[in-house]
Amino acid sequence: MQTVIESLEQFLQYTGFANMTWQHIVMIAIGIAFITVAIKKDWEPLLLVPIGFGIIIGNIPFHQGLQIGIYEEGSVMNILYQGVQQGWYPPLIFLGIGAMTDFSSLISQPRLLLIGAAAQIGIFGAYMAAAHLGFTPAESGAIGIIGGADGPTAIFLSSKLAPHLMGAIAVSAYSYMALVPVIQRPIMLMMTTRKERTIRMKTPRLVSQKEKIIFPIVGFILTALIVPSGMPLLGMLFFGNLLKESGVTKRLAETARGPLIDVVTILIGVTVGCSTQADVFLTATSIKIFALGLFSFVVATFCGVGFAKIMNLFCKEGNKINPLIGNAGVSAVPDAARVSQNVGREFDKNNHLLMHAMAPNVAGVIGSAVAAGILLSFLG
Amino acid sequence: MNSIILLEVAGNVAEKSAEMAEKDPHGLIITLVSVSVVFIALIILYFAYTLIGKAVNGKISMKSSEKSSRNASSYKPSDEEAAAIAMALDHELNGETYAAIGMALHQYLNDTVHDNESYIITIKRKNR
Repeated sequence: MQTVIESLEQFLQYTGFANMTWQHIVMIAIGIAFITVAIKKDWEPLLLVPIGFGIIIGNIPFHQGLQIGIYEEGSVMNILYQGVQQGWYPPLIFLGIGAMTDFSSLISQPRLLLIGAAAQIGIFGAYMAAAHLGFTPAESGAIGIIGGADGPTAIFLSSKLAPHLMGAIAVSAYSYMALVPVIQRPIMLMMTTRKERTIRMKTPRLVSQKEKIIFPIVGFILTALIVPSGMPLLGMLFFGNLLKESGVTKRLAETARGPLIDVVTILIGVTVGCSTQADVFLTATSIKIFALGLFSFVVATFCGVGFAKIMNLFCKEGNKINPLIGNAGVSAVPDAARVSQNVGREFDKNNHLLMHAMAPNVAGVIGSAVAAGILLSFLG
Repeated sequence: MNSIILLEVAGNVAEKSAEMAEKDPHGLIITLVSVSVVFIALIILYFAYTLIGKAVNGKISMKSSEKSSRNASSYKPSDEEAAAIAMALDHELNGETYAAIGMALHQYLNDTVHDNESYIITIKRKNR
């Protein structure tokens, strides 16, 4: 009888209930909140559901040494987490993004590339703010990249520069990407006049297949030569696009934009969520990272819209840019472009900005990968 | 082996980071240089794509601008554009949305499914 009681006591000590702290409860609540928001509001469900569930998995308390935790070498979660830690997953996601993105609007209106460049100022604004708050330059670079509004790039860079902050950075980046409509709209309205919001942009010209094929090859060679450290992301992005546009690799393109990106999204979401264990996540540093992440999004939107207005000073009548597409310079594809479309239609029901906004939006993807490459070459 | 490489990389990062903290404590220099490089990279792309567009496809661009000045409604978006427009409008429930989706789908399916048709679309406003 005594042995049974002792065994039961020992078992109870191993249960999650016995080891639960308030921090675990908070994190599990955050995980449930992510899942709820994803399902109820349809905000980035493909990311928030895996991350939310990953947070729950990662915050079930357990006895160390059972080789089940994400930070315990050799555990299943630890092996899956290698893709995040060593930066394998983000380039694979970029391959899928390249294979699903139509760059036509950018090819037909290359001037809109500059809006994508301007929005990257958010990254460096947050970098300076983080440095001011006492983060090291490497940590500041990893935090600043949240402003690129690009989850895979944020994970890629933070895995290289500040692996200890990666959980908070990734969760912050994905959370703000989900909140793009909420964050960007007021800034867009604040920075534009009613007249500017109703500017109708010229219909883009048709883009030939030949141009679409040349685009990824030239794009990759030029950007990779300027910033070789961005090669993993840029290479996969443009390669994926070549698979799509070549017309002879349909099966590969479909795999890249279908099963492959889905598998990697599941793995990246769950493992990043899982890495946010209460003891490493619930700290004052994480709160600072969230604040800086929000700041970088605000600066990025502000600079994107502002730059579109500046460009208008040099554009002839009839060739003006609707500054509402400036917010799309951050690379949250296609959510930021949808925000441009929806805000534009609030003021002119028949003004469809989506096609135009996709240009700075995809330029933002290239821009944030270039920015990540620069930060890596300086600090990595 | 793996952890040795990771430690080496972490050491490099810490070293460079410390060096940068000393040289540029406020991050101003790195910001200016990085923003300039991002702009230069994308400006180079801008020129490259503008030139390629003119060189490779000058005829198409001329044709399309002529076309659009003649008759704006004759512009035919690509399949992806049509699908993207339809997707973006998907959530907004009103009669015009259905009309736009109908138009996009019409143009999307036009080449592959339909024979030559009248191109007259009747839009019936839907009150919800």
